[in-house]
Amino acid sequence: MKIETMIQQAGLPLLIFAVCMYYGIRLLVTQDAALIRGRDKKPLKDEKAYARGGGKIILFLGAGTLLMTVLSFINIYAAVGELVLCIVIMGIAWKRLADRYEK
Amino acid sequence: MDKTKKKQITDFLINNGVIIVMFVLVFYTGLTADNFFTSGNLLNTLMNMSARLVIALGIAGCVITAGCDLSAGRMIGFGACIAGVLLQRMDYSGKFFPNMEPMNIFLVVLIVMVICGIFGSITGFFIAYLSVPPFIATLAMMEIILGINMIFTNATPLGGYVTEYTNVATGRFLGISYLIWIAVIVAAITWFIFNMTRHGKYMYAIGGNPQAAEVAGVPVKMTLILIYMKAAMMYGLAGFMLGAKAGGASVALGLGYEMEAIAACTIGGVSVTGGRGRVSSAVIGVAVFELLKVALQYLGMDANAQWIAIGVVIFIAISLDIRKYIAKK
Repeated sequence: MKIETMIQQAGLPLLIFAVCMYYGIRLLVTQDAALIRGRDKKPLKDEKAYARGGGKIILFLGAGTLLMTVLSFINIYAAVGELVLCIVIMGIAWKRLADRYEK
Repeated sequence: MDKTKKKQITDFLINNGVIIVMFVLVFYTGLTADNFFTSGNLLNTLMNMSARLVIALGIAGCVITAGCDLSAGRMIGFGACIAGVLLQRMDYSGKFFPNMEPMNIFLVVLIVMVICGIFGSITGFFIAYLSVPPFIATLAMMEIILGINMIFTNATPLGGYVTEYTNVATGRFLGISYLIWIAVIVAAITWFIFNMTRHGKYMYAIGGNPQAAEVAGVPVKMTLILIYMKAAMMYGLAGFMLGAKAGGASVALGLGYEMEAIAACTIGGVSVTGGRGRVSSAVIGVAVFELLKVALQYLGMDANAQWIAIGVVIFIAISLDIRKYIAKK
């Protein structure tokens, strides 16, 4: 496979990985839940803990994306399967986070 | 002139600054370039606008609820590829399903919209029931769609469409392209949904204040699922239209269209903070955006520099929108 083809195939997932890293780390550092929640949402019991939890979940999605990028060069079916699994786990984790911290 | 009137005029000029500057630019281009104000150029611009308007109308629903949809671009590519494989000529050497007859074009539109709608409702489920922020949920869906589309098409470009399909872009009714008619019909249906249905009212209520909407008995979760499903169906339709126009499709089709659509909505007046926006906002935004592109081409601006100009417009439009929100608050 040519390097150009590899960059084309991996470009978008790598961009998503970078976005996830940026938001995940920013949430962990600033602990600002407003970054992902928007306005007029249900109040939180502990905003900082929610932001930390959210940051970790986004980092998990980023890691899943990176793994998917690598797997896509070996087996595209395994790559998509891994990503779907990661996203389902992310959804469940987010639900648990909301149940725990939303008033 | 009293102070209140002066302030009103200043606010109007600031709030609509982007649109005013765009119109000045368009008139300047029209006066300096030879073929700008011609019916041919107008129809061509309208044709280019048509698919983008369908996308913007889909995204507008999500933005009104203070959400966004980053999966739009990938969904467009997916829709175009599904339509492409179902509408290839029998004699085409690179036919995806060699033994399958091309399907009825209306059935293909329906299939594309239903498949995209299913993925859209999954996104809506993640946002509504699992409390995943729209930005993250749609980002994740964008990746899934990209992966599925790569598996589906083996990342190979599609072509060799039947004439019934390419006629969607080349054919005309009353001298106007079918693509423009499709966009007009979709805009009319969206206007009806936004203004005349309970679903439309719920949508604005959720965008204004989701907590208050829930207390008032609005089925917030189901409404959100419907909004993302409806939006995805529109992306599928836009993919179908773009495939017909290009005479081919690939995984990369529609890349970055979601950003342009969000920007167009914001320029037109759909608020990124939610609760505000109309169909006319999306129409104005898309028109302004498309006219800007055409005007820059006519003025002979370098293709790469055009991206910078478009980026500056997006930046200013979103800054002005946030200014409006802060002023209102």
